[in-house]
Amino acid sequence: MAYWANGLPAGAALALTAALFHVFNHSVFKSLLFFGSGAVLTATGERDMEHLGGLIHRMPKTAFAFLVGCAAISALPPLNGFVSEWLTFQAIVLNPDLPQWGLKIAIPADGALLALSAALAAACFVKAFGVCFLGRPRSTQAASAREVDYFSLAPMFILAAICLLAGVLPGVVVDSLEPVTTSILGGRMPTQLGDRWLSLVPMSAGRSSYNGLLVFLFITASTLIVVFLVHRFASNAIRRSAAWDCGFPDPRPETQYTAESFAQPIRRVFGSVVFRTREVVDMPLPGDMRPARITRFARDVAWDGLYIPVAAAVGAMADWMNVLQFLTIRQYLAFVFIALVALLTALALWQ
Amino acid sequence: MNEPASLWLLLVQFAQMSLVICLAPLLTGLVRKVKARLQRRRGPPLLQPYRDLRRLMLKQVVLAENASWLFRVVPYLMLSITWVAAALVPTFATGLMFNWTGDLIAIAGLLGAARFAQALAALDIGTSFGGIGSSREVMFASLAEPATMMIILCVALVAGSTQLSTIADHMANGAVGLRVSLALALIALIIVALAENARIPVDNPATHLELTMVHEAMVLEYSGRHLAMIDLAAFLKLLLYLSLIGCIFFPFGIAQAGAGPEYYLIGLAFYVMKLMLGGVLLGVFEMSIAKLRVFRVPNFLGAGFMLGLLGVLLLYVSRGM
Repeated sequence: MAYWANGLPAGAALALTAALFHVFNHSVFKSLLFFGSGAVLTATGERDMEHLGGLIHRMPKTAFAFLVGCAAISALPPLNGFVSEWLTFQAIVLNPDLPQWGLKIAIPADGALLALSAALAAACFVKAFGVCFLGRPRSTQAASAREVDYFSLAPMFILAAICLLAGVLPGVVVDSLEPVTTSILGGRMPTQLGDRWLSLVPMSAGRSSYNGLLVFLFITASTLIVVFLVHRFASNAIRRSAAWDCGFPDPRPETQYTAESFAQPIRRVFGSVVFRTREVVDMPLPGDMRPARITRFARDVAWDGLYIPVAAAVGAMADWMNVLQFLTIRQYLAFVFIALVALLTALALWQ
Repeated sequence: MNEPASLWLLLVQFAQMSLVICLAPLLTGLVRKVKARLQRRRGPPLLQPYRDLRRLMLKQVVLAENASWLFRVVPYLMLSITWVAAALVPTFATGLMFNWTGDLIAIAGLLGAARFAQALAALDIGTSFGGIGSSREVMFASLAEPATMMIILCVALVAGSTQLSTIADHMANGAVGLRVSLALALIALIIVALAENARIPVDNPATHLELTMVHEAMVLEYSGRHLAMIDLAAFLKLLLYLSLIGCIFFPFGIAQAGAGPEYYLIGLAFYVMKLMLGGVLLGVFEMSIAKLRVFRVPNFLGAGFMLGLLGVLLLYVSRGM
């Protein structure tokens, strides 16, 4: 919008396309992830991540589709999430063209926040996939889960394919968003299809370009080369054995990292500012047989700063109005009369 | 573009791809040698990393009983993704055939993808060491990525492009001069590079069995050819960051598009010299500093982020005047 207001239609079209692409992507991979969670719920009857684990062995197809969704939402190339993030960064890099100082400072901060949210999304989905699908099962339901039927799997795979296609051929999506940007802004991004090798070029080729197709082909080709070389020259022998874990493997599934413990470092780094997290460790003295406990307190700033004052104001207002509930019928009639007169006066003044 | 020229560029591109993968273990060997000499040890020979890789490749893989397909696929993916990212950085020449495939942001994204895969694989067996490594790695990543973005923004504002080839050409032509912002971005990039490569103030590459380890904790369950591929990917990543610093901040002698073969040779010589210098400096730096506690690392990376942001703001101020 800022670009548009300052008469930079190309930048505005780029920013709007990035935003629309982002919305499109979210509609795809969020649906995919919800389908996946639904499949897990159907298969195990569990909503709590701390009771799952090891589902990749029991539900390999769901796991694969869910993994694609996780990688896409974490903005990893060559999937679609990365393309919209890339376009947004390209819009951010254009910001010195803006004349206003406030915006100049605010937009780089925006970029940093975008990078932070992408990294936190990656952390979150490593946690989600890792705790639900990887590791060892933490409950009997998870250990005995069955793969869901093909009607449940098909939509997940279709959405996963869209994630990959939109990431590999972003030009198609960008061009199909063109009527929207034209009608809103009167400007548009350069046509993407027909460019050499289907490359994505937001402004000009010397400035920046991204080619999802070639990145994908490159990764495929180099993976094939690596697989070929390794299987040609390296040993192919595999022996199954117990996990190593530095010599102290504990077979109980409780010894694994849980979702709670996985997030602990991030909570300690960011949580102390944003959520005022505090951790209280209750460690019994030697000889005392009580279990040690760690208790976590978190406060949601949005909840405390926004909702609680509003709720408190509503409550105070209700208390104050409560007096009106215990009036006589004459007083009510007087109120109705005063209200009518006030309304009519207001109407008369309005006209 | 006529046929022989594009064929030539393709050839140079393949030369670069094989060059990075051949040089990467040597660079790590050099760093190890420098560190050993500073500790008054003789140290392993320079070629030791190649021998280690060969030994691991020829060994049998010992796989945990509950390892899934993901655990076995990840080493291949990590190596190939890191390789592609390393091939996109101009090393001895700019304007290569595939340089326009991806820019700086794409390279950062590819490295993020490799890290994502590794963090997942670490959780696969369900051991506590894998969990600790993975959880700390994503914490570091959430701090390093905003810093990376600030550096990219700073460099892109100076050069007017996020395309590495264009940036290197722009910097090499000397039109930029000395800029405080670029110095700040350089320090920030070094901080990020140390964190991303699990080098000393953040992580210790030479240790096992230490509660502070991050990278080594994630790869603890790997063995044989899988471990060899992960090690090679780590060597490549170190080379990638040094090449990145070289091509953005010190692009002396880099061969530009359309130059003759003799310029490519000169560029190659300069590149190898830059790598050697970088490796020696890294070794000296690692010997002169102690490892940080894990929860001190956010301050270290936060300093990197602030430097990057300062660089960007300084650019605006200096342009506004």
